[in-house]
Amino acid sequence: MLAAGLLSVAVAAPRLDASRLMQTLAGVRSASASFVETRYSPLLKSPLVSHGTLSYRRPDRLEKIVVSPHQERIALHGDRLTIDSPPAGRREISLDAGTSGIATLIEAVRATRAGDLARLERDFDVVVSGTLDDWQLRLKPRAADVGQYVSAVGVWGSGPRLQRVEVWEASGDRTVMEIDEATD
Amino acid sequence: MTRRARVLVAAWLLLLGACGLWLYRNLTLTTDLSAFLPPSATPAQRILLGQLRDGAASRLVLIGLEGGSEDTLARASSEIAHRLVASGLFAYVSNGAAGANRRDQAVLFEHRYLLSPAVGPERFSVRGLEAALAETYRLLGTSAGVLVRATLPADPTGEMAQVLRQLVPEGVPDTRRGVWFSRDGGRALLVAQSRAPAFDADAQRRVVRTIEQAYAATRPAAGRVLLAGPGVFAANIRATVDSDVWRLSLLGAALVLAILYAAYRSAAILAVSFIPVATGLVVGVTAVGLGFDELQGITLGFGVTLLGEAVDYPTYLLMQARPGEALGEALARIAPTLRLAVLTTVLGALAMALSSFAGLAQLGVFTVAGVAAAGLATRWLVPAVLSVRPGSLAAGKGLAWLDRLAGAARRARWPAAALVLGALALVAWRHDRLWDDDLSSLTPVSASDKQLDRELRAQLGAPSLRYLLVARGASREAALQASESMAAWLGGAVRRGWLSGFDVPSTYLPSERTQEARRAALPERSVLAARLGSALRDSPFRAGAFAPFLDDVARARSGPLLDMRDLGGTAIAFKVDSLLVRNEDGWNALAMLHAVSAPAELAKKASAQGDEFIDLKAESNALVGTYKNQALRYIALGLACITALLAFALGSLRRAARVVAPTLAAVTIDVGLLLLLGKKLSLFNLVALLLVVGVGLNYALFFARRHVDDEDKRRAQRSVVVCAGTTLSAFGCLALSRIPVLHEIGVTVALGAVLSLLCAAAFAARPE
Repeated sequence: MLAAGLLSVAVAAPRLDASRLMQTLAGVRSASASFVETRYSPLLKSPLVSHGTLSYRRPDRLEKIVVSPHQERIALHGDRLTIDSPPAGRREISLDAGTSGIATLIEAVRATRAGDLARLERDFDVVVSGTLDDWQLRLKPRAADVGQYVSAVGVWGSGPRLQRVEVWEASGDRTVMEIDEATD
Repeated sequence: MTRRARVLVAAWLLLLGACGLWLYRNLTLTTDLSAFLPPSATPAQRILLGQLRDGAASRLVLIGLEGGSEDTLARASSEIAHRLVASGLFAYVSNGAAGANRRDQAVLFEHRYLLSPAVGPERFSVRGLEAALAETYRLLGTSAGVLVRATLPADPTGEMAQVLRQLVPEGVPDTRRGVWFSRDGGRALLVAQSRAPAFDADAQRRVVRTIEQAYAATRPAAGRVLLAGPGVFAANIRATVDSDVWRLSLLGAALVLAILYAAYRSAAILAVSFIPVATGLVVGVTAVGLGFDELQGITLGFGVTLLGEAVDYPTYLLMQARPGEALGEALARIAPTLRLAVLTTVLGALAMALSSFAGLAQLGVFTVAGVAAAGLATRWLVPAVLSVRPGSLAAGKGLAWLDRLAGAARRARWPAAALVLGALALVAWRHDRLWDDDLSSLTPVSASDKQLDRELRAQLGAPSLRYLLVARGASREAALQASESMAAWLGGAVRRGWLSGFDVPSTYLPSERTQEARRAALPERSVLAARLGSALRDSPFRAGAFAPFLDDVARARSGPLLDMRDLGGTAIAFKVDSLLVRNEDGWNALAMLHAVSAPAELAKKASAQGDEFIDLKAESNALVGTYKNQALRYIALGLACITALLAFALGSLRRAARVVAPTLAAVTIDVGLLLLLGKKLSLFNLVALLLVVGVGLNYALFFARRHVDDEDKRRAQRSVVVCAGTTLSAFGCLALSRIPVLHEIGVTVALGAVLSLLCAAAFAARPE
């Protein structure tokens, strides 16, 4: 369904050059945004909604702060991923497989934000479509460790701004992060 | 050759052949140190030796990969891990990659209700389920949501997370690109556990080679592989021993041969002069083999050192024969002295042989048998096979300097006495800092290797090798229960910051009692379904979402308890095997401790709890200390016997004193010089000093022997000088070794040989 959707967009619009999109994205020095993330799950009576802020500083600093319903701070700086989620601390998620799965999802956002195609292609099969004003990235994880949790990631944006990140989980859940971003 | 000589040679060959055959069939050489345990060894010391021998921690190989991009290193790490697993040399290999532990994870997940410490009657009440579901819902809203969701229908209470929480110790390495890395990202990390024990140096060399080949196969452009761990060091030491010891031994042997050739000017005599020591070696080993189940590696090493004296026996005979004199005639003159030279050593070692301490007893038996055989071979065999008449040396005018040397030493009576007094003063002043029982100061592991080991251990969060906790039980089940109570108080110790984490067997394999309690806490399916229904009423989760949970709990409830068979083939099984060990005292549950910062508090708490805290370093040092004290006691006893023998044989206590005093003087000065060199005395110095006593007594005996004329006296002196020269060359070469133990023995004996010669000449020689 997703593939079909992306395909129809790709057919309808003039072909977008990946390097040109990346150049546009890489021009951003810093960005900050508020976000609303929604988990749609067949297990839940109603979707689980969280919100918070995202901030980015070139070249490699991304921070996601969740303020509601529970506080959590996820920071990716260089190669270090720090997750502070009181009261549990970071230990709760330091399952071997887990860290790389979570890190990959954060990396998807950061590498896109940084316009770093090489980095994206290291972790994902990347398909770019749309126009510069209305683009989409479809990312399919390459590592099996990640693939057992995440089927695909979609990123939507306009020019240098990110607008939406969707994650299709292997479990059948889907999370959608709507982003309201200001770039500099 | 006379008929009698032929019979003798035939008998000798028969003896050697029989010994050789017996050794070939029966000899087991062991490096197991348990023979060195005193009969009064504590259970802690026995566990210590077991752990040093083949404990889990001692088999650990720590691997670091450096040089190259993160990507290259990560790829190399995976490739090496694969190759190591495929090699079959390792019981366990991990580079942090998830895939490698998948089977382990599956086993843990399957048995999560028996393994999770959170399982109890409360957990599956309506209230308990509500609380667990609320926590799971919270986690679903965090970054870990994607992971929580994957197992949510089967595990809504998060038991797997509870299980994993205990398994993952604090301070695990960072994971980058799916594998372990050091914090700065410059080093990919792996850890492996060899199947072979650490002390098996040959097997460990194969281990090291395999890792190096696996690394080379990744075709690294630039960079290196770093290896640490007890086994790796054993392999490295063996490599040093091979290069160092052989080179130095060959050099020493060449020097000894050169000296003896200069003395005899005959290859035939030279060859014959090695018959006694070779005979002594074979007979000594056979005697130990007959008397004990196994031959200790250390006995062999120390024994060969002590047998160094036997090289001198033929020298005394061959050097003191007059030109053209048949050896038999020469023997008539020197046999009584030679007999005493052999008997003093035999008597000294006999005291040791009677020790109840197996290690010392072996050394004693080896020396008694070896030296006696060498003495007999010198007395009977050498004259029988040597048809060439020695004595060419006497013609050598170039050797007059030997006589001058002996003469000079003879006049050094007062300086020598002053040296003895000085040394005695030094020993008295340093009496409380005389001994060094710390084994690690003698370990041949280089400082850079030790540093690397510390670094990799810290980066990998590997347990320290120094501290160990033991909980004991009469049965496996009792030990596991003891392990659980130990884990309970250790958890408190971690919260207090005394250590960062620990590993106990009951985490992986809970006692049956605990498992039964957990199983009994699982409600019947219909009861659980009803309670879950109530709990879900006001929860954000849909009813009916958790059928797999109901199935799994029902299966666990009626299923068997977890046992070793279920763990078969996993890294967990290997962990349990190495942490739950059986010895003659019963079952022992060991706790491996990570980053201990408050050993004293841990020790106190452990004894209050009835567990045993072992400081491996302190225990091994105590062990060495006991051995040393026992050895000292038997040496004192041996010296008393020797003095009595000499008094009887020489006819007066005064004459005996003239032989014993120079020897003691030489040993005293030797010790004083070692202290001046900044050394402390160890067990190895002690064994070396025993040899000094052995050769020193001989020098004194031959100096003090009644000489028929000046020529006879000159020859006696020359023979002693040649003996001291050979000992000095052989052990002087050892002193050049980079291996601390060999260096210590070398320095002590080389100094001792010179000092014994000096003191014998100064104090033992009959006045002019």
